[in-house]
Amino acid sequence: MAAGIDRRRFLRFAGAGVAGTSVAGCMGGSQSSSSKKLQGGPLKIGVLAPEPGNNPIGASIANSAKLAAKQLNDDGGVLGANVEVSVKDTKEDPATGKRKYQELTVGEQVDLTTGVFTSEVQMNLMSSIAQQQTLHMSTGAATPEATRKVAQNYDRFKYYFRVGPVNSHYLGQNMVDFAKANFESMGWKSVAILAEDYKWTEPISKALTGSLSQAGIDVPINKRYAGGTQNFSPIYDQVANAGVDAAYVVMAHTGTSAVVQWHKQKRPFEFGGIHVPMQLPSYYKAVNGACRYAVTQNSATPTSKITKKTVPYANAYQKANGKYPVYTGYITFDAVKMYAEAVKQAKSKEAGKVIPKLENMSYTGTTTSSLEYYGKDHEYPHDVKYGKKYAWPVWLQWRETGGSGSQEVIWPENLASTKYQAPPWIN
Amino acid sequence: MVNVLTTAVNAVMISALYALVAIGFTLIFGVGGVLNLAHGATLTIGAFTAYYATAALGLGIWTGTLAALVVAGLFSAVLYLGMIRWVQDEPIMVMILTLVTSIAVEQVFVVVFGTQPKAIPSLLPGQLSAAGITVQTNQALTFALSWLLIGALIVAVNYTQTGKAILATSMSAKGAALVGIESDRMYLYTWLLAGALAGVAGVFLGSFRTASYTMGRGPLVLSFSIVVLGGIGSIRGSVLGAYLIGFLEVFVVSYVDSSLSGLASLVVLVVVLLVKPEGLFGRELAEA
Repeated sequence: MAAGIDRRRFLRFAGAGVAGTSVAGCMGGSQSSSSKKLQGGPLKIGVLAPEPGNNPIGASIANSAKLAAKQLNDDGGVLGANVEVSVKDTKEDPATGKRKYQELTVGEQVDLTTGVFTSEVQMNLMSSIAQQQTLHMSTGAATPEATRKVAQNYDRFKYYFRVGPVNSHYLGQNMVDFAKANFESMGWKSVAILAEDYKWTEPISKALTGSLSQAGIDVPINKRYAGGTQNFSPIYDQVANAGVDAAYVVMAHTGTSAVVQWHKQKRPFEFGGIHVPMQLPSYYKAVNGACRYAVTQNSATPTSKITKKTVPYANAYQKANGKYPVYTGYITFDAVKMYAEAVKQAKSKEAGKVIPKLENMSYTGTTTSSLEYYGKDHEYPHDVKYGKKYAWPVWLQWRETGGSGSQEVIWPENLASTKYQAPPWIN
Repeated sequence: MVNVLTTAVNAVMISALYALVAIGFTLIFGVGGVLNLAHGATLTIGAFTAYYATAALGLGIWTGTLAALVVAGLFSAVLYLGMIRWVQDEPIMVMILTLVTSIAVEQVFVVVFGTQPKAIPSLLPGQLSAAGITVQTNQALTFALSWLLIGALIVAVNYTQTGKAILATSMSAKGAALVGIESDRMYLYTWLLAGALAGVAGVFLGSFRTASYTMGRGPLVLSFSIVVLGGIGSIRGSVLGAYLIGFLEVFVVSYVDSSLSGLASLVVLVVVLLVKPEGLFGRELAEA
């Protein structure tokens, strides 16, 4: 819109004006009491999640937003306003995601949108977020392209924040950091990098290329395989033939087929990296234990005491839903709580007033004690900060304990519950 | 570079599975003359039946496979009796109905089992090693079972009374009717048989890779390529087509580029349709 004022903003300002006049008329112009209360009805949060009814990643997003809202409401709401959550299914499809986003912002007039799992869906929303000027706190998609847009045009895209996970560039950096700290003791002198060919893995491949070799790790295979791959036998033959110690993987959509085939075929190499399905606490049962001895990076686990909030949140989620959440749950819970804190500090839910509060906040969440965002002049403004003091993922290995599987943290050391163990079929 | 023998063994194993997938598809087309786009869904039903039997009911995988065979066969038969029988002379209607059925089945699995893939236990665990080549016992079993079923099918069609009646119906429904063969019953047997074969194929596919609600899509497309390459309606053509496509897929992934795996069979489909639309073996049993 050329004038820069869309219908929604016009209605909001017009509505606020009318409401303000009415309140002033009734209250005799008292400002002190109204400034403590949130104007404009309940605090509405729109959630975009893939298949929230049956996909653990989507369910974790939706249920965690509801849990956070319930806890806030039980605590008296946000500046007296009730927190309401509306969940929409993106179906992991960019077009559907955009339509649902419009329903939330234009139709339901939400104050915040959160969630979104796939980068493809997230990128398709960026122009709408800029147009609607409604705050969006992303909690699943990892592509750095989103915050690069904020860097390119801050005023237009400043409504976008990524609460987590760390962007793909830093996910790759974290894989390098893990390799430098642990590969020697794990006996991984050479690895084959296997990355599924999706947008989110591109920066990781880029970050890994060269970095591992510079760290003294031999990388004879660095492969990006087709996103639809189901038969991993030919790829594993190449990995086995290269004689590497392990496959260092970057997988989400194809991960289950890959780990099941690795385990069933008892391949002569170890297996670890970023494997999104393995982050799911109930994964062991779903794959009949095929994830045993495999390693994955994660934002948190139900038992890892990253902050004082981690375990209580995981237990509250388990109590409410009968199962533990996956990483998108921890991040969404933090997003809603952090937003509520920013609204309290701003004493307003207007994006223009909330954004500076978020930009300057250091928040203790469930996955980091210092949840902070990069500044306006950084390469990735409004992206969650990566580092030991900030968001610092945990690495876990699936092990069998008493006939069922458990996610045991192996790194960082202060959270480790066990040491890495090679699969028994590896000589 | 991967050992050629290893690649060839891999290709032989996966081709045996593809043959099992494609035969049901070609059988229905060869006898009934209809394209069953729900073939992939039948395969998915087989895989999830085995998953449910093993994971939820705690039954063994062999019982699960038997259940998959029965449930998938029954689904296919019910599909024919309840839907296809009434429209089998209208190919477009058949395609639309089977396609819609296929999507509906996928959605049912999304609701019931979710979107996360599920692992199915191997029918035979462990591995076999010979001459430096290692294969899963489960894969070797698929290979053996595939040939056993193909052999049994050929024997049944050529040497049993019902088989001969099916063969007669596939040649000419009118001619078969003149000698007292009820073509509807023969079509039903064919759908039942094709469904059962797809169910078993689904269990094997699920036990190699995992079972997911979309697992039938790839095999359906592969079936098209295999059946067109071999010659629509020809059983031996489908077997040969399955091996050609299987080898092509594995060798392309191993020696060219893994991202081309799905593309190779589609290119074959287009080229064969343009250059030799009757396929390698033509249609053996066309109605005069």
